[in-house]
Amino acid sequence: MRFLVDGQPVECARKENLLVAMLKAGQHPTGGGCLCMAGDCGNCLATVDGVSYVRTCQTTARPGLVVERHPASGEPPLPADHLQRKETPIRYLFCDVAVIFFGPDEAGQAEVESARGAGKEVLVLNSAEGREAVAIYAGPLVVARTESEVLHVKVCDEIVVATGAAEIQPVVPGSELAGLVTARAADALAKQGVDLGRVVAVGTPPSEVECTRVEGRLLRFEGQGKVEAVVTSDGDKETRHPCDTVAVGLGLHPRDQLYLMAQDLSVPVRLVGEATLEATVPRCPQQGVICPCSAVSRQDLDFTWDSGFREMELIKRSTLAGTGACQGMTCIPYLRSFIEEKGGELQPRFTARPMTRQLTLGEIAAGGHHAPDLRTALHDEHLRLGAWMERSGPWWRPWNYGDPVAEYWAVREGVSIMDVSTLGKMLVSGPDTLRFLEEIYPTRVGTIKEGRSRYVLLLDERGYVFDDGLVAKESDTRYALTFTSGGSSHSEMWLRDWAHGLNFDVRILNQTYSLGAINVTGPQSRVLLERLGLSEPLKFMHFTDGVIAGVPCRVFRLSFTGELSFELHHPSEYSLKLWRALLEAGADLGIRPHGLDVLTLLRLEKGHIIVHQDTDFDSTPRRIRHEWMVKLEKEHFIGRQALLRTNALEPDKALVGFEMEGEPPIEGATISFDGNYAGFVTSSGYSHVLGKAVLMGHLYYFDSALPREVQIEGRVARRVDTPFYDQEASRARA
Amino acid sequence: MPELSAFERLPATRLVSTEQAIEKLLVSPRWSSKVVVLRFAADEALLLGGQEQARTIIGELDPHAIVINDHSFAGAWFSEEEAADLLQRHCEWQPPAGRPAYAQGAVAGIPTKLWFAEDGRVLVVVQTVYLADFEERFR
Repeated sequence: MRFLVDGQPVECARKENLLVAMLKAGQHPTGGGCLCMAGDCGNCLATVDGVSYVRTCQTTARPGLVVERHPASGEPPLPADHLQRKETPIRYLFCDVAVIFFGPDEAGQAEVESARGAGKEVLVLNSAEGREAVAIYAGPLVVARTESEVLHVKVCDEIVVATGAAEIQPVVPGSELAGLVTARAADALAKQGVDLGRVVAVGTPPSEVECTRVEGRLLRFEGQGKVEAVVTSDGDKETRHPCDTVAVGLGLHPRDQLYLMAQDLSVPVRLVGEATLEATVPRCPQQGVICPCSAVSRQDLDFTWDSGFREMELIKRSTLAGTGACQGMTCIPYLRSFIEEKGGELQPRFTARPMTRQLTLGEIAAGGHHAPDLRTALHDEHLRLGAWMERSGPWWRPWNYGDPVAEYWAVREGVSIMDVSTLGKMLVSGPDTLRFLEEIYPTRVGTIKEGRSRYVLLLDERGYVFDDGLVAKESDTRYALTFTSGGSSHSEMWLRDWAHGLNFDVRILNQTYSLGAINVTGPQSRVLLERLGLSEPLKFMHFTDGVIAGVPCRVFRLSFTGELSFELHHPSEYSLKLWRALLEAGADLGIRPHGLDVLTLLRLEKGHIIVHQDTDFDSTPRRIRHEWMVKLEKEHFIGRQALLRTNALEPDKALVGFEMEGEPPIEGATISFDGNYAGFVTSSGYSHVLGKAVLMGHLYYFDSALPREVQIEGRVARRVDTPFYDQEASRARA
Repeated sequence: MPELSAFERLPATRLVSTEQAIEKLLVSPRWSSKVVVLRFAADEALLLGGQEQARTIIGELDPHAIVINDHSFAGAWFSEEEAADLLQRHCEWQPPAGRPAYAQGAVAGIPTKLWFAEDGRVLVVVQTVYLADFEERFR
């Protein structure tokens, strides 16, 4: 079998280790550095099939694999734009006991057998078997990766960390040469057929490789690209040992990062086996590179110490030592000995945090989801009719159907329909319903008669407006409520919290997703509905239950557009049937659908607010000039006390209307008066029926008065009363 | 895994009442234990069948109860193996071990109801407003 290394084919055997195959072909992945064959060092990294920082010693070669060696210095290139990356799949696993290995560990294996013997569901995560644990989070959650997916493991009883110990890496001059391996790596490579040549062992020798063991302190490696000799010292005398490979056995330090990051979890976490060893603290060299990943030299460390940074965490943050590809597996032992040498105190390694390995963005994002986009039952129908769809809050909604001006005039002169299924809709039933709603709303609910509805605001405890809608009375103990499309979830929570907290005996049902709603609007809307079953004329703000085009509907007479309007609330499974029946029956009336583009303009001409567009976080009913909707004489409602206080203050700003010549300004545009900041535009549009720009905005008072003329985008805007069109609302109340 | 076109609107009844009334309904001798009851909350349930019995019994127990048709939920049955694979890949919380059982929560980030039947099959239920996103996340 063959794979490619920097464009050149390299032979490999089936299931052969990738690093082994590369070394057999004379290719060192990074050009040099001591290899550990255990995933600890950063010296075997390569870009594999477009993914950088892959540890080739932990990877299996496959035919056709594309390997690009990392550059000797600097970072590997970013992935090419044309590469399509598939989503990384995730798998959720559950167990009683998770045992984590980085290769064989007898103590860990004993834990596995013991837990299984006790009848526990045991999950083994062993990097040597392709399941590498990279993080432990509160939860507890163990995150592991395989070559193809990410695992999220939820553990019920216990986590056992049997991750063994890493061999100390050399950091003397020449440590960047090829031909350097740890003692255990020498055994592993030789076992897999890599020819190591003449092997010289410094420190603890490999157990199975024939080698020459040398005594003395390791001073440096010599060679050009590849090691040719190792130099040791015995007191004053230096000895040079020619070789092809140097196997270094400088001691061990525990791989306990996963254990250290998993403190204070809700399940016990135990460290077993070689991972409990006391770390070897090698002497820190007096010169040379101590952290090869971040190129931090002994000189850098001395400067940092002399600058006053004398703790492990501070040295790390100041120099970035330990933050590179190997995450300190090379340099931490030497940083500890450096601090001990300088300050006389051996400090622990720096704080262990997830993750222990570089992950791809796909692996980090695995299992993550955007908030879902909701679709009404008419979504596909809108697309069929050529609608331009936009996200509005959590919903996909039609913006227009290709000709917003024609859609506008259909509403003004004929009849038009709009999908308003997104509206919040709830039912409240129970003996305490009226008392409950009187508490929730600043309006007098008790004066609403059966079969009638009233436009209401919702205020929070500070008297600020956070939603609006309708209250419609079915009976003394049952009311239907509506809310804004984006506010229904919050409003449901609001209702339930107050019902429960104040112990009201009510039942609350959120029907927002269950009911569709279609707004039929325009001077011909009544004609259209009479054709389809509306048998009696419905007065303004009344509602009735009936059948329209064979569909059971609750018909509300109201108006958001400023024209004669009816809202048909119906079970959502009938939306398409009702929609198409309306379009068919209204063909001779010039019916066409309209979307948000037209709706927002029509309601602006009517001066109707959109909560959270025309209201700010601190909009009281007074500030938005909706005091007529508040009955302060009610004994109590949520926000009443706050309104009593804020109404006693001098008014500071108000939501007002403006008109301008020319193009309407952008929403959000600054309002100026006499060179001073005076507010901002909240809604803006060109009124086709009026032939000018109309807008609303928050305007500050100056000397206790609202200015009559202001500047917006360098042009004059005149403050006018709203509604801008049909001020008596005669068209809506026709 | 079966095609998501297997999801169909469920002819169901939405019930909102006091916790005590719902409990009494479920143990009433007039109530059929064969009806699948998805208990969304202490005071709310979706009934897959038994609408008339529910209206009658609950009407006696709680005259203010809300009992209405609701066909806005879509569901599909999966075999035990299909469901196990689906949940392992998309459900970060542990499903219940007992059968029959009801559970609800996010599956692939979408609010989902799960009914684990005694025969091992699993009914996966989502509201139709979420169905398109649900399908996309399983592609």
